[in-house]
Amino acid sequence: MMRVPGSVGWLLRHELRLGWYNAAGGRDAGGRRRPGNFVIGMAVLGCIVMHVVGWLAVRQLAGVPAGDPRILLVITAMLAVGTTFMLSSAIKTSVLVLFERSDLDLLLSSPLPSRSIFTVRLLGVCASTAGLYLFFLAPFAHAGLLQGQWRWLGIYPGVIAVAVLCSCCAMLLTLGLVRVLGARRTRVVAQIVGALAGALLVIASQLHALTSRQTQERIRNSVLELVQQNGAVDNPLWLPARAMLGEPLPLLMLAGFAAGLFMLTTASTHRFFARGLQLAASAAVVGAPSGAPRRHRFGRSLFQTVVIKEWRLIARDPQLLSQVMLQVLFLLPLFFLIFQRTDIQAQAIGAGLALLCSSLTGALALIALSAEDAPDLLLVSPASQRTLRRAKLTAAMLPVLALVAIPLLWLLMRMPAAGLVACVVVCGAVTGAGLIVFWCGRPGLRSNFKGRGKGGFVMNVLELFNSLAWGLLGWFLSAYALGQLSSFGMSAIAGGILIAIAAPVVAWLLRPRQLVSVSAL
Amino acid sequence: MDDRLPALRLAGLRKHFGRPAVDGLDLTVRRGELYALLGPNGAGKTTTLRLVTGLLAPDAGTVEVLGIDLATAPAAAKSKLAYLPDEPMLYGKLKPFEYLEFVAGLWGVAAQAAEPRARELLDWLDLSAHANELTEGFSRGMKQKLALAGALIHDPELLILDEPLTGLDAVAARQVKDLLLAHVAKGGTVILTTHILEVAERLAHRIGIIRQGRLIAEGTLAELRERTQGGSLEDVFLQLTAAP
Repeated sequence: MMRVPGSVGWLLRHELRLGWYNAAGGRDAGGRRRPGNFVIGMAVLGCIVMHVVGWLAVRQLAGVPAGDPRILLVITAMLAVGTTFMLSSAIKTSVLVLFERSDLDLLLSSPLPSRSIFTVRLLGVCASTAGLYLFFLAPFAHAGLLQGQWRWLGIYPGVIAVAVLCSCCAMLLTLGLVRVLGARRTRVVAQIVGALAGALLVIASQLHALTSRQTQERIRNSVLELVQQNGAVDNPLWLPARAMLGEPLPLLMLAGFAAGLFMLTTASTHRFFARGLQLAASAAVVGAPSGAPRRHRFGRSLFQTVVIKEWRLIARDPQLLSQVMLQVLFLLPLFFLIFQRTDIQAQAIGAGLALLCSSLTGALALIALSAEDAPDLLLVSPASQRTLRRAKLTAAMLPVLALVAIPLLWLLMRMPAAGLVACVVVCGAVTGAGLIVFWCGRPGLRSNFKGRGKGGFVMNVLELFNSLAWGLLGWFLSAYALGQLSSFGMSAIAGGILIAIAAPVVAWLLRPRQLVSVSAL
Repeated sequence: MDDRLPALRLAGLRKHFGRPAVDGLDLTVRRGELYALLGPNGAGKTTTLRLVTGLLAPDAGTVEVLGIDLATAPAAAKSKLAYLPDEPMLYGKLKPFEYLEFVAGLWGVAAQAAEPRARELLDWLDLSAHANELTEGFSRGMKQKLALAGALIHDPELLILDEPLTGLDAVAARQVKDLLLAHVAKGGTVILTTHILEVAERLAHRIGIIRQGRLIAEGTLAELRERTQGGSLEDVFLQLTAAP
C-alpha cells in the first residue's frame, strides 16, 4: 500500500528501512545494505533455539498459577533487570537521534511538521529498544499460542509498553539535560548516564554488598514477607509482572500508561526537540576551549609521539572512559565479596584481575589499534607501520597495567607467592588480549567503534577465550602458590595454558596479510 | 640529489576497480612547478593521487618521487611528500599544536625545526587564536587549513593536494593559494586537482587534463589554448573533455 509522502507512516517506513541498512554494521557504503548472511544465519539459529527453550518453559510452567507470588517475584526481578538495560539502550539511542543523525537537517528544513519528525524518531527509539527483547521473549508468546496458553501473548504488548515507557523517559531525560546543561555537555553526560543505567542493578548489588549483615538480613526478610503475605497478588508492585503474564486489566493499564506517556511526550516536547537540535548544531560549530594553554613538546620519538597521541584521545573520550570504568564497577561487588571470604581471597583476586585486565585491554586496544580517525595520514607518512602499531598496542596496555598496579602491590606485600602469580597472570591476560586485537582487529573510523563487540565475531570469541583462560589460570595458579591445589586444578591449569596460548596463535593465523586503507574499504 | 630529476614520474600506471580508473597513465611533473591535474568527475584524478601517495597499490606501472621508486623504497619516497585529501585527515579530540606535534613525529622532524615551524604555520593561517581548542569544533575551512599546516610541517619537496579549496571562504582560499605559491617559490613542487578552473588558470605552471584515467592533454595554458583554439581554460577544458 502506498503511503502519503510526508505522513507519519511514510516517515516511519523510511526510518525502519534505514534501521535495516544500519544493521549491516556500517558496511553499506557502496556495498550490501543489509546484515551479512552469517549474521542472518546466526539470528535464525538463535530464534529457533529460543523457540525450543520457550516451548519447554511454557510447557513446564503450564500448571503454575499466574498469581503465584514466586512467579511474580521472578518476573518482576527480570522486568527490573530488563528495564534498566532498556533505559540504558534508549538513552544511547536518544543521544544518537538527537546529536549524531546527519539526516535531521534535511528533515527539519523540509515542510514536514516537527511533531511528525519527532513522533517517528521516538517510535524508532521505541522499536530499537523493544527489538532485542522481543527477539528473546516473543518465542515464549508463540509457544504459549501453540500450546493454547493465551496469557503468554501478553509478552508482546507488555514488552512494547515497557520499551515505550523507557524510550519516553530516555528522550525526556535527554531533552531535559539539553535544557539544563546545554547540548555539548548533554552528549557526554547522557552517554555516561546511559552506561550507568545499564549497570544500575550491579551498582545496587554493590551497595547491598557494602551494607551490614543486619541490613542485608532485613532486606531479605522484607522480600520474603512480600512474597508470602496474603493477597500479595493485589499488591501494585506486581502489576507490571501480571501485565506481562497477560492479565487483561494490568495489561490494559500498562499499555494505557505507555500510550499516554508517548502522546504526552510527543505533544509537549516536539518543539523542544527541534530546539535541542538547533542547540546541538550550534554546539558543534562553536569551538571547545579545553584547559589552559600549555607547552608542547616536539621532537619526541615516533613511538612516544604515537603513545601520547593515543592517550590524549582516550582521555578525551568520555564514552570510552565510562565504559572502561563500568567494567571496573561490574567487578567491584566481586571484590567486596572476596574480602569477606579469606579462604579464596588470593585465587579470586588473581582471577578477577585477569578477567578485568583482559577485557579492558581488549576494549582499549580495539580503539587504539583499529579505530583510527586519520588512517590515511599514517599510511602516507614514512613512519614504519609496525612501529606505529606497536606504539598503539603499548598505549592500550600500559593504562590497564597502571590501573591494577595498586591491588597487585597490595597482594604482593600480603601474599608474595600469590601476588607474583597474579602479576604473571595479569601480564599474560593483557598481552594475550592486546595481541588478539593486534592481529585480528579490522581497521575503521573511530566513530564506528563506540561500544564493545565491534571487532568482529572471531575476535570477540578469541578475546572471550583469552579472558576465561587467564581467569582460570589466575584462580588455580594462585591456589597452587598457596598449596591448595586439587587434582582437578592441575587439569584446569593445563587447559588454561593451552587456551591462553591457542587464542593469540589463532589470531596470528587469521591476521590480514596487508594493511588496508580504511577509505579504500 | 640530482636537480634534473623530476619531482614525480608516473609510467604506465594502471588501476582497475571493476573498470579502469587509471589506464596507462604517463605523467611527469618537474621540480619547482605547480601542476594542476584537471578532469571531469570520475576521470581518475583522486585515484591517481592515492596511487602516488601509496594509499593504493597500482595494478601496473611505476611511481617515482624525486627519483625514488615508491614500490621499492616507500619510506624514502613518502618522506619527500605530503598529501592533503579533500576530507582533512584530523583528530577531533586533538588541539592544533598537538596535531602538528603528532604529524611532525610521523615525519621525524626535529624539535628545533618543528616547533617554530608549527607556530609560523598557525600564525600564517590565522589559527593561533584557536590553538587551545579541540579541532572537532572547527569549521570546514579551519580544518582544511590545519590539515594544510600538517602537510607543510615537514617542509615537503612534493606537496599533493586533492581539491584543496573546497569549502573555503575567499579569505581562507587566498591564504591557501599564497601558501602554495610561497612553497613553489622556495623550490617546492605542488600537484593539485581542482574543479575551480580559475585557480588552475591563475596558479598552475602546467596543466594536465585526464579523462577515463588517461592523460588527454598537457601543457601550459597558452599551449592548451593554441591546441584547441579555445578562449578561457573553461572553453579548452570543455572542448577537450567533451565526449567523442
